[in-house]
Amino acid sequence: MRKKTFTAAVLLAAATLTLSACGGGDDTKTSAVTTLDGGSSSHGAATVLDQPFAKPDLNLTDTHGKAYDLRAETKGHPTLVYFGYTHCPDVCPTTMSNIAVAAKSLPKAEQDDLRVVFVTTDPGRDTPSELGKWLGGIDPRFIGLTGDFRAIQAGARSIGISVDPTTKDKKGNLVSVHGTQVMAFSPKDDKGYVLLGDNATVDDYTKDLPKLVKGVNP
Amino acid sequence: MSRASVRRVPARRALPAAGALLGALALAGCSGSAAPAKAELSVSSSYMPRPVAADMAAGFLTITNRGGTADRLTSVRSDAAGDVTMHSTTGGMMREQTSFAIPAHGRLVFRSGGNHLMFEGLKHRPAEGQDVKLTLTFARSAPLTVEMPVKSATYNPATGH
Repeated sequence: MRKKTFTAAVLLAAATLTLSACGGGDDTKTSAVTTLDGGSSSHGAATVLDQPFAKPDLNLTDTHGKAYDLRAETKGHPTLVYFGYTHCPDVCPTTMSNIAVAAKSLPKAEQDDLRVVFVTTDPGRDTPSELGKWLGGIDPRFIGLTGDFRAIQAGARSIGISVDPTTKDKKGNLVSVHGTQVMAFSPKDDKGYVLLGDNATVDDYTKDLPKLVKGVNP
Repeated sequence: MSRASVRRVPARRALPAAGALLGALALAGCSGSAAPAKAELSVSSSYMPRPVAADMAAGFLTITNRGGTADRLTSVRSDAAGDVTMHSTTGGMMREQTSFAIPAHGRLVFRSGGNHLMFEGLKHRPAEGQDVKLTLTFARSAPLTVEMPVKSATYNPATGH
């Protein structure tokens, strides 16, 4: 367990832009980035972990209002998991849009095989229909999940991604603070070997996705 | 059409008379009464990634100061949005700021993952190719208007696409 945490931390420490809240923040808050040491190697925008993560055991609700068991539904599929929220102006829509554009350059069979899962960190506002509307503007095939915040937070933490509860800043704006990495899970063993930071561009995803969908590390 | 067009608003203060300027220069170094060089601000690299919906959008730009005096960006407004706020990222946290420093002979940069402008309550979801008009207000310099072009949701200013 300890080793796992250490491994995850490397990239958190390596990528300084790991966490962001997309909204007015509260100045008294401290950074949610945990500084850790561990083993990993960097390959362009992708960080390959020495110790892979198990897929988070998340049982949430999808954009159709149906129960969604992440492990069962995505078993054997290349899966990208991202934690964010729809009232996020900068990093969240850019990251999801970058993946959407890059995925279109995959062969059709691989596009159908790929699962892109957006888990909200702001379930109070991101209802299934709100999530569905937002993701529909990016790529209707993307899966949006919402549900109990503590379950979401625990799921994120299990793969080394930090998520804070939505808070109100001084002006009354609701702010969510969340790690901004995308974790890619292999279709071979359903483990997460690769993290992509919020600096990953369409070109980075276009280069890495063909490998990731085959369970090959970049 | 990739650059923002900027219209300069006439400076509020007239240039000091040449004689006064010379006198000020002569005094420089032994008193604080020298007339300061002005901030000379210009805006470049502005863009808005096409937002997913009308309720929220980000905007980015660079303000360059070629003058010898620092200034501050104190507000941003746009008729296209209900509210425009300015945010910084420090230690991974995004925070709303009431103003941003523009150093003398320096730049203030808003770019994805760092400082950004946040537009809320847009009247319409902007389409790629449209411009969003902004007015930037400063502590010292006259306001600047910016025509911020709307780019694709995945636009990367480093590659230009």
